[in-house]
Formats: sequence, C-alpha cells, structure tokens
Amino acid sequence: MDIFFQIRNDCSELTTIHAVLAKLKKRWNLTRRFISEMNLILDELVSNIIEHGGCNGEIEITIRLIKKDNAITIILTDTGPPFDPTITPIPDISLPLEKRTCGGLGIHLVRQFSDGCSYRRADNKNILTLKKLLPEENR
Amino acid sequence: MDNTAIFDLKGRLDSRTAPQFEKQVSDFLHAPDCHLVFNFNELDYISSAGLRIILNTAKAYKSSPYSFVTCCMQDHVQEVFEISGFDSFITIHQSLDDSLKQLEAPS
Repeated sequence: MDIFFQIRNDCSELTTIHAVLAKLKKRWNLTRRFISEMNLILDELVSNIIEHGGCNGEIEITIRLIKKDNAITIILTDTGPPFDPTITPIPDISLPLEKRTCGGLGIHLVRQFSDGCSYRRADNKNILTLKKLLPEENR
Repeated sequence: MDNTAIFDLKGRLDSRTAPQFEKQVSDFLHAPDCHLVFNFNELDYISSAGLRIILNTAKAYKSSPYSFVTCCMQDHVQEVFEISGFDSFITIHQSLDDSLKQLEAPS
C-alpha cells in the first residue's frame, strides 16, 4: 500500500501533510501517537527544505509513504539546494539553559522518532528515505 | 493572582503558527513583570519551531525575578520536550492548580 503527494515550499502546506496523515490514520488503522510522530518527522523535514530553499522560487516537494511488512517507509524528494540532513551535527541536549540553542533540534527529533534514514542526491534532487517501524498492534 | 499571566495554548504549534504565537508572547519576554504560565491542556502538537519560542521564553525568565512554568501537557507533547532535553530546565506541572500553587508560595 502506498500514498504519493506533492506540495509546494510554503508553510501552509504543513496543513496538507496533517490532512493526508489524518486520512491515513483511518485507512491504515494507525495509532494517534504513531501519526503524531510521522507528522513531526515530515513537518521538521519540510520546514527545513522551506528554510534552506531561501527565496529561490518554487521548490517541488514530493512525499511517498509505503506501508510494507512491519514498517512505513517515507521517501521525501525536493528540488532545493543540496542538503543532507543525515550528517548535520547532533545538538547537545544535556547543556544548561543558558548554553542551549535550537539549532539542529528539528533533525534531532526526526532521528529520535524514526528507525534509520539515508540520503542521496540525484537528478538535481535531494532524496531522503526514512523508515519508521509500526507499533506492535499494527504488525 | 494579580502577578501571573496564563497563556492557554490550543491546536498546533508548528512553523506555520509559531510566528503568531511569538508575537503574542514577545511583550512578556522583553521585560518580564509578572509570572508566566503556559497551559498546554489543549495543545495537540508541537514541533521544533514551537520549542524555539519556549526556549527563548525560559531564557528571558531565567534572568528575571519572576517564574515561567508550564502545565497539562499531553503525553506525546511532553515526550517531545523530554527528547529535546527541555524537561531539565522547564518546570512541567500536572495541573494549572499545581502551577499556581508554586507561584503563590513564597520563594
């Protein structure tokens, strides 16, 4: 089973992601927690694409979600400038308040809520593939 | 209580809605002149864009004589706080009453 949709590099599209996932929740009978985590992963990655894209005009973003075996695979592509989120530095979350910054926090959340990801650049596109294991009750 | 402002957060706090929220709290952050409570009771979702505002709020209050506390987080919202390490410097109460009690108590 898979789902494919395309969005623009605009923050209003976060609503589109939320709406697609709300439908998937019913169709694939997923838990609220799982959908919320999927939403966070896509939200952070798409927000990054929008931010890194700057004012370079329209960036085409596609999202494919594949439910197979015990996991959902997310394939996210974008036509923005090269950006590999798998090699960004990990923020030190043990720092005291005065020293904390928010840099890298979004990607940190993506890593924590997913179960492996890989990046490649091809055809002038960033292609990010993530895996998220389904909770026990969905297997 | 006269010296406490309570913000009720509702819905989704992400990079789409964060700028509006940031605007609303900015007056409190410039020169805090009262305690501040963020009541998360009706907040369904938070992303790093929302966490950034929470961090800036905590920083602004750290150097003020007033307190900033939060309460009533849904489990998955609290999990995002914990994974980000924010629970080590932000007070999270179970209920609004608990928050108000702490702020009333002489420190």
